[in-house]
Amino acid sequence: MVVPVPDVVSPVVVSLYIPAIFTGLLVGLIGLMAIAYQKRDIHILILTDIVGYGMLVMVAAVGTDLAEALILPGLVVELAEILAISELLMSREMRKLDKTTETVELIPVPINLNMEILETAPVFFAIILVIYGAFLSGFTGGAVAGAGILFYVLSKVTRGVPQNIWEGLSATAGVIWCLWLIGFLIFFVAPDYWMLGLFLAAFGLFIEVAYKAGLIGVIGREEFKREKE
Amino acid sequence: MFDVYVCFYTGVFLLIVGSIATVIGPGVKDPIIRSLNTEIPSVGISLILLTYNHTVALLTFIAATVIIMMILLRAIVRLEEMGADV
Repeated sequence: MVVPVPDVVSPVVVSLYIPAIFTGLLVGLIGLMAIAYQKRDIHILILTDIVGYGMLVMVAAVGTDLAEALILPGLVVELAEILAISELLMSREMRKLDKTTETVELIPVPINLNMEILETAPVFFAIILVIYGAFLSGFTGGAVAGAGILFYVLSKVTRGVPQNIWEGLSATAGVIWCLWLIGFLIFFVAPDYWMLGLFLAAFGLFIEVAYKAGLIGVIGREEFKREKE
Repeated sequence: MFDVYVCFYTGVFLLIVGSIATVIGPGVKDPIIRSLNTEIPSVGISLILLTYNHTVALLTFIAATVIIMMILLRAIVRLEEMGADV
């Protein structure tokens, strides 16, 4: 059975559909074959990127607003997944190490980064990025604000961000996720209140994506435990 | 002049060649070189998203790629510092 393509889809998108799908399949296959032959974990993590790119092309081939809306969560989930797996790899390696060896720097750099700009700039940058992200709202705003929070954490955490803050952040992300779901539900249950639903969804999503940086809290906790020992 | 087909097929070419380069390219035993090679397919993806006019997706993709690169480099350097087999 052939499903007819609606007239609103432009003929260019229709003509590019088959090549795009085959490209996605080919790239996904290349990535999966490479993963099958790889032995080392960090290489597998890098190659997961390639498989993700194949997925992106296949979704983008639809060429509508729906495709765009599906690409955004795909990207954010891929980001969170790579962050989580790299943390897992590192903590496994830490457990293998002897407890008495000296601790590894959070961000290993070859030079001593004791510059004044790292003391003053992060707060300013983080505030600007979070405000701009709140203005954008939705996934993009979440990504911008998340980048601001990540930048702040990466430059400050070695000087000691209270660990309670980060645990609170990850917990809030879960609550906000429920807000987003309620916003979606309002669209279907009570369509008259669409404005409320829209705002719940947009800002719930913004805060949720921004707090994905709360995953960094896992790193912070690990680091604090190591310092206490 | 902006030709949609040229843009799209350049993206496809970069994507396929770049992913092959990431898998069996020269010097990919070093994880840093392998992760730098993933930038080639990501340029291809950017061109394909540009063809379909997915502006927001393109912007988010660029931001996500930069953050993923940061995470990967940090993981690689940290693992090497701990003396893991990378």
